[in-house]
Amino acid sequence: MTWAETLLAALKRADISLIAYVPDISIYQATKLMEDDPYFHVVAATREEEAIGVAVGAYAVGRRSAVFMQSSGLGNCINAIASLCLPCRTPIPFFVNLRGELGEFNIAQVAMGRASKPILDVLGLPHYTLTTVDGLDTILNGALDLCYASRQPVALCMTPLLHRGSLA
Amino acid sequence: MVLENVGNRPIVSNLGPTTDELWHSGHRDRNFYTWGSMGLCSSIALGMALSTEEQVISLDGDGSLLMNLGAIATVGREKPKNLIVIVWDNEEWGQTGHQSSHTAMGTDLERVAQGCGISRTATVSSEEQLETALREALASPGPWFIVAKIEETDHLPYAPIEPEMTLYRFRATFPRASSNPLTEPWLQKPESS
Ligand SMILES: Cc1ncc(C[n+]2csc(CCOP(=O)(O)OP(=O)(O)O)c2C)c(N)n1
Ligand SMILES: [Mg+2]
Repeated sequence: MTWAETLLAALKRADISLIAYVPDISIYQATKLMEDDPYFHVVAATREEEAIGVAVGAYAVGRRSAVFMQSSGLGNCINAIASLCLPCRTPIPFFVNLRGELGEFNIAQVAMGRASKPILDVLGLPHYTLTTVDGLDTILNGALDLCYASRQPVALCMTPLLHRGSLA
Repeated sequence: MVLENVGNRPIVSNLGPTTDELWHSGHRDRNFYTWGSMGLCSSIALGMALSTEEQVISLDGDGSLLMNLGAIATVGREKPKNLIVIVWDNEEWGQTGHQSSHTAMGTDLERVAQGCGISRTATVSSEEQLETALREALASPGPWFIVAKIEETDHLPYAPIEPEMTLYRFRATFPRASSNPLTEPWLQKPESS
């Protein structure tokens, strides 16, 4: 299985069927598969904090949800995490494509990419970095289990080592 | 008035006076109060509407919606039939000292919604008009977008909201959550009871 197929299988295992996202080249491999799969309802949001709102709404009526974004989008949704997800204790996994990593070509992506994990740390949110398809299911299943057991968001940080930064 | 008409349908309320008023006029398990995440009230309601068959009511504010106008574009894109957005438009950021908002200077939220492809819209300026619009919205497919022009009155005391409790209480009323022992063990009753 590719990393994206492994990821979809982990989402299904955890009963996650609503996905809210703002596009990014490297998460496209996964979001494209989800859009073609009737199991998922994929909501394109205009901004990442809106995606968090949609995901929280789904969870509030009993449907598990996840948010996909790139690291710049994490900057766009810090207050949504801090003032909604944390006080309400919503277990929502964030799939964050880390920019500013190996091979980054865009200076505008570097600072926010590098700030992402420290920001997650000060928010007290666990994060796991995905670098290879070997053992990926173990990390994903474990992180999703932790997310629901702790009823707090967990971040899964995707890197070019995993997806090569490419569309396919 | 809103509470009298909506029965047991879920309601999401905007931070500040809207949440306080909803609590004081009728606390119920199906009120999802927000106390932060300014701008996300209608986004939260959208996520609900896409995940339950029931009609969902968002009680938003002009200032908050202006912070996240994209929410209306996403409602227009998804077009959930069971979503009713009511914007309390007092033309100000009331909570923070009554500063005039953009709707006092010409921004027309109903036209914004129409421009986002939402065809069932209204702007109302009295309680009777609002009740008429709300009843129509409850009786026909949406999404609905109703701008309620209101005069600011004195604020009620803060509602004693505990967000974790709000979510827990709210969530437990939805069978999709409460009936799933695998994913929601804490909402199950012991077998002996
Ligand atoms: C991100 C963010 N920015 C600013 C504030 C401060 N704030 C709290 S309520 C509010 C006004 C909200 O206006 P509106 O939605 O029109 O509600 P009203 O108070 O008029 O009922 C503001 C600016 C905040 N809580 N969060
Ligand atoms: Mg206002």
